[in-house]
Amino acid sequence: MTDVASSSGAMEGGRGHFLANLPSGWGTVASVAGAWIVLIIASGLHRADFLSHQTLLAITFTMAIVGVLAVAQALIGISGGILDLSQPTALVLSASVVAWLLERGVPLPVVIVAGILVGAAWGLLNALIIVFGKLNPIIVTLGTNFIGQAVMFLVFQTAQAPINSDLVAFGRGYFLGLPNIWWPMAILVLLVGYFLPRTRYGLRAIAVGGNRLAAQARGISLKKTRFIVFSASGAVVGLAAILFASSNGPFSPTAGSTFQLPVIASVILAGVSLSGGRGSIWMILLSVAFLSTVPTSLVFFGLSSNWQAVFQGAILVVAVAIDGWRARRTLR
Amino acid sequence: MSAETTGAPTSVSGFDRHRLRDIATGSVTSIAVTLVAVIVVGLSWIGPNFLSASNVTIIGSFVAVPMLIAAFASFALLAGVVDLSIGSMVGFSSCMTAALVTAGRPMWGAALATLAACLAFGAVNGIAVVIFGADTIAATLGMLVALRGVCYLLAQPSGSLAAFDADFYAFTNMTIGPLPVLFVIALVLIAIAAIIVTRTRLGRHVQAVGGDDRAATRAGISVTRVRFGALLLSALGAGVGGILYVGQLGSASNLTGTGLEFQVYAAMMIGGYSIMRGGVGNPIGAALGLLVVAGTSNILDVQAISPYFTNIIVGLLLLAAVLLDRLRGGDAYE
Repeated sequence: MTDVASSSGAMEGGRGHFLANLPSGWGTVASVAGAWIVLIIASGLHRADFLSHQTLLAITFTMAIVGVLAVAQALIGISGGILDLSQPTALVLSASVVAWLLERGVPLPVVIVAGILVGAAWGLLNALIIVFGKLNPIIVTLGTNFIGQAVMFLVFQTAQAPINSDLVAFGRGYFLGLPNIWWPMAILVLLVGYFLPRTRYGLRAIAVGGNRLAAQARGISLKKTRFIVFSASGAVVGLAAILFASSNGPFSPTAGSTFQLPVIASVILAGVSLSGGRGSIWMILLSVAFLSTVPTSLVFFGLSSNWQAVFQGAILVVAVAIDGWRARRTLR
Repeated sequence: MSAETTGAPTSVSGFDRHRLRDIATGSVTSIAVTLVAVIVVGLSWIGPNFLSASNVTIIGSFVAVPMLIAAFASFALLAGVVDLSIGSMVGFSSCMTAALVTAGRPMWGAALATLAACLAFGAVNGIAVVIFGADTIAATLGMLVALRGVCYLLAQPSGSLAAFDADFYAFTNMTIGPLPVLFVIALVLIAIAAIIVTRTRLGRHVQAVGGDDRAATRAGISVTRVRFGALLLSALGAGVGGILYVGQLGSASNLTGTGLEFQVYAAMMIGGYSIMRGGVGNPIGAALGLLVVAGTSNILDVQAISPYFTNIIVGLLLLAAVLLDRLRGGDAYE
C-alpha cells in the first residue's frame, strides 16, 4: 500500500504545470506511513495478537466506506469546492432508496444504478444552488444537510436492506481474505487516482481548484466543471451508500454523520488542500488505513471506544496544523 | 425577508440620509423584519397566547444560553475565525462541572476549574489556527470531535451526571416578570458586545482583522493577538454556557450541546454574520437571528408540528440569508 502511494507522489511531482504546485508528495507519504507503522508496531508489541487476520478484517472493514467517501470528498477539495458537509445526507438518502427498491424485489443491477444516480442527483442539486446562487459550498451543503436530514426523518425513522437479499450476502462475504466491500473501495481509489490527472475532465477539475481565474482564461467553464465535479462526487457517495446498505443493519437518517470526521481527516491527511488544486487520490488508501487502524489499536490498548473520538479529533487538529505550517512555509 | 420591503424614508434631509439607507438595507433590518414576520405569524396562528407571559418565559429560557454563547462567539466570527468546537465545548464544560460537583467540590470551585480548562482548549484552537495557520473549520472540527470524546469519558458509564445545587438551580431558573434572569443577562451581554463592536477601537480592530487581515497588519494591528483572543473568548463563552446548563437542568449528559454549534451559527448567519469571511455582522443581528429560530420552533411546538420542520425552515432561512448577504456585497463564490 505504501508503495502505491509513494509512486503516486513521485508521479505527480514529475507532471506538467497543472500539478506543478503539488507539495513534495514524499513528505506527506513518509509522515503518514511513519505514523501508521509506529502505531502498528506499538500495538503489536503491547499485544502480540494484534497482528492477526482478525485485526486486518476489522481495519479493512472500517476502511471501505470511509475510503469511498474520502474519494468523493477529495474530488470536491481538489477542484476548489472546499468541503461537502452534506455527505451524511447523500449517503443515507441513497442507502434508503437502495433498501426500499430491494424490498420491492427490484433486480440488484438496477438497484445499484439507482443508488449511484440518487447520489449524483443530490450532488447536482448542491451544485445548482452553489453555481446559480454563487454561494459558498460549505454553507450550502451545511444547509442542504440540515434540510435533507429533517425531510428524511419526516419520511422514515429507520431503514434496512432486506437481510435475505443478494446485496446483504455480498456485504457479509469475503474475497481473498478481505471483506468484499473493501475491494470496490480499493479499485475506486486506484481508478480515480489514475484517471484524474490523465483525463480532460480530471485535469480541468484540478486546474479550476488550483487557480480558477487562470483556468477560466484557458477557456475552462467554471460552472460546467462544478456541475460535473459535484455530480461525480455524489455518484461516488452513491457507491458508498450501496456498500453501507450491504454491510449495516437498520440505520436512521442521521447514521451518516459518524463518517463525516474520519472522512475529512483522511482527506486532509492525504495532503488534499482544502483551498484546492492539490492532492493525491492514491494517498487516501494510506491515510484511511492509518485512521482505520486507530480504533482497533485503542481496543488492544484496553482503552474504551470513547477514546476513539478523542484520538480522531486530536489527529485532525495536528494534521491541519502541520498542513497550515507547511502551506505557510511554501508561501514564504 | 427582503430588505427592500422596509422602504427607506429617503425624504429625510441632511447627513442622515446615507446612514438611514444603510440601516434600511442592512443585515440587522432584514432580520428584524423577519422577526416581526415570525411574531405576526405566531399571533395570527396561535393567538394572543403567543406573547403571553408563560410562553415568553419558555422562549426566553430556551434561547438564553445560546444567546450568551453567541455574544462571545460573535467576536471570533467577526475576526474571521469560526470556532466550530463550541458545541462540544459546552458539553465538556457541563460534564466537567457536574463531575467535579459530584466529586464533592463546591459549585464555584468546579465552575472556575472548568472555565480554566475551557480556556486551555481554546488556546489549543488558537495555537493550531493562529500560530500554525491551520484551516479554521477543519481544526475546530477536530476539536469538536475530540471534546465530544472527552464528554463521553467524563460521563461514563451511565452517560449522565447529576449535579444539583439548590442555590444555582434557583438562580438560573429565576425570572424578572416574564423574562428569565439568564435571558436578561444574555441581552445585556449582547448589548455590551454590540457597543464594543460598533463604538470602540477594539471592535474596529476586530472588524479590520476579519475584513482584510493583510490591511490590518499594515495598519499596525496584531492579527495574531486579535484572533487568538477571539478564539479564547469563544471558548470562554461556551464554557460559561455549559456551566449555566448544569444549573438549568441540574445535570449534565455526554450529549449536552450536541449540534449547538450549527444552531448558533445558523442563527448568526441568518442574523447577518458569515462563517466564511470576517468583518461582517452585528451582535444585535445574532440575537434577532436566535429569536427568529426560537420563535419559529416555538410556533411549531405549540401547534404540535414535527420539530423537523424547524430544521427545514432554518435550513431555508440560512440559504436565503447567505444569498442576501451576497446580494448585499458579500463574496461571490464561483
